[in-house]
Amino acid sequence: MTMKQESVWRVVPHQHRGPAEHTGAEDHVRSPRKHNGSFKSRGLATFMGAPYCPPDRDEIRKMGAKICFLGCPWDQGQIVRAGTSQGTSGLREATTQYFPYMFEYDVDLLTFFRVVDCGDIPNVPGNNEKSHELIDQYITECLEGGAKVIMSGGDHSLPIPGSRALSRYMAKGRIGYLHVDSHLDAGPDWAGNKITNCSGPARAIELPNCSARNMAHMGSRNSLNPKDWWDFYVDNDIRVIAMREIVERGIEVCTAEIFEIAWKGTDAVYFSWDTDSIDISCMPGSTSPECYGLKGREAIALARVAGRYGCDVLDVVELAPYFDVSHMSIKMAANMIYHYLGSRARTLIEQGKTP
Amino acid sequence: MNPAKSYAHLFSPLGGEGADNYRAPNVLTFLRSSHVPLDAAALKASGARYAFVGIPFDEGNVGKPGSEEGPREFRLASQEYFTYWFEYNVDLYGVAVDCGDASMPKVSPEVARERIYRAVREVLKAGLIPIIVGGDRSISIAATKALSDHIGAGKKMGYLHFGAHLDLADSWAGEKHLAPCALARITELPNLDARNVAHIGARNAMNPKDWIDLAKERGIRFHPMFELLQRGVYEVTAEAIDRVWQGTDAQYVSFNFNVMDASDAPGVTSTEPGGLESREMMRIAELIGQRKTLSVIDVSELCPVFDVSGTAARLAVCVVTRIMAALAKERGEEIDASIRRADLLSGDGKSA
Repeated sequence: MTMKQESVWRVVPHQHRGPAEHTGAEDHVRSPRKHNGSFKSRGLATFMGAPYCPPDRDEIRKMGAKICFLGCPWDQGQIVRAGTSQGTSGLREATTQYFPYMFEYDVDLLTFFRVVDCGDIPNVPGNNEKSHELIDQYITECLEGGAKVIMSGGDHSLPIPGSRALSRYMAKGRIGYLHVDSHLDAGPDWAGNKITNCSGPARAIELPNCSARNMAHMGSRNSLNPKDWWDFYVDNDIRVIAMREIVERGIEVCTAEIFEIAWKGTDAVYFSWDTDSIDISCMPGSTSPECYGLKGREAIALARVAGRYGCDVLDVVELAPYFDVSHMSIKMAANMIYHYLGSRARTLIEQGKTP
Repeated sequence: MNPAKSYAHLFSPLGGEGADNYRAPNVLTFLRSSHVPLDAAALKASGARYAFVGIPFDEGNVGKPGSEEGPREFRLASQEYFTYWFEYNVDLYGVAVDCGDASMPKVSPEVARERIYRAVREVLKAGLIPIIVGGDRSISIAATKALSDHIGAGKKMGYLHFGAHLDLADSWAGEKHLAPCALARITELPNLDARNVAHIGARNAMNPKDWIDLAKERGIRFHPMFELLQRGVYEVTAEAIDRVWQGTDAQYVSFNFNVMDASDAPGVTSTEPGGLESREMMRIAELIGQRKTLSVIDVSELCPVFDVSGTAARLAVCVVTRIMAALAKERGEEIDASIRRADLLSGDGKSA
């Protein structure tokens, strides 16, 4: 590890090196001494107050980042109401209200993972194909840079280019694909369009190194689930844990089950987590929110169990702050990611591993 | 696959004119059903099981206004859903029709009540199940009377009431047909025995002493929220449903979604903390549907102006349609699970 790499992290959070001098290398995990640091005074709003890193494999490698945050304000791949283009800025906004230190796991996420924010992926309005191509490229850069990816949506068409990128990156191995959502999202196409927000699993199964036995769906309920979506799971013999089963068996055992499926004989896992898997009472700021969903405490339990297993790309999609109330949805989304990372860090520490 | 029948609605759209976007229907109706005039002969000819009637009337409220917008919001929320239910393998397509809203006069509550009564009677006369969406809780007074008169003195009816408030005011400021008088009037119907009445979800202090006294006087069994939590939601609800269906020829199910916790249904006129959760209500809806028969469903006191992200309206739609789906399954109306979307396509990939 070179001094140059160190220096980037010594000034975390990097935004506050101005006249009111930053007071110490580890100030970001403690109550402020001289001034508020990055807590609520955000400077440039980045995820977790992380340093900006250009979405370039060499730059990412140079910074030694192990988690790249990518915003993806793309919401024209959806069949429901619009609004998710604001999700990524909403999520960054929510993280300004948190410390990167999590007492539950006794870890500083920022320095443990060397988190960087690679900014937002650009898109081409009105062109789903070109926008997906850019998503694919940006994720590829992060993976090639040696990092795992947290992508904030954006609509639920994101896992289509996202899982494609992971599949290519892991071309010599096998990948698993998990879809947690109130909707089954397995349309072969929607009125002829094959890459909308309701076809993630249907596209994932077509990837050369992703098979049905490493795919699972969890959280489905209610009647925005046309029959072809259901038939996809029946015909391909893919495990579906519907909401009723989660209520009966508990979220932790169900989450463990889908991650066991995804990691069985695979080398990487794509985990796509739709905010509408969470109950509308805890997540109103989503584009097609549903009652009969996971409660806040269950979503966090899911994240914790997920952190025990880990994944290579986590997307949190369909976050729509327009419909939010009192920041509850954006803070929920931030916590889905934070608790995942916290649990992941704690797991790695206990295994004596580094990220 | 029966070639005479259309199956396209079961699946995500194949494309083409009019089939691209399920959220952009030509006409706004409950669950994109057909509009049928509120006329017994036309309703009978429709072959449907349910007739949706909006009742935009909120001049019976004593608290917050706003339930007048309930039917419109309920229809809007229903556009978010398909008629197919993977949880039951049933299809509600064609099961309901929409009769539009009953025309409500302003500042003439007596005329309004008469029209509500006539609307419900007309649907019942045609042999369909009215789904009426208010409007405030006072609509249940006229609607239950319509059911009572429809079945006649020789038959018995049951009544199941969901809400945070008992609505047992014998009169309110001298008025007898306001929302808080609903259960007081309903339990005076000649063919409704108190043994077949159940109230679920009462809590908090908008339940003055005279309401409790009247419940005792009339022998009305109510299950307060504390009882549900102590004894178990499903055990108590099953018991309440048993009372309503036991020995009755017709059953009326009446929802005020303030039975839900305020977090699960902010868009109602009078939210209350400490209520049911949506996963509990989903099970309850299924228990009701599993009875196979019911006569009227009403939803009142939706208040879209207070709603958050469609929470209450979507919940209301999910509860009503889940009852319909569970009922269809219980009646053995599961569809042929082997039908596939690909069957609809001819060789060139275009819609057959």
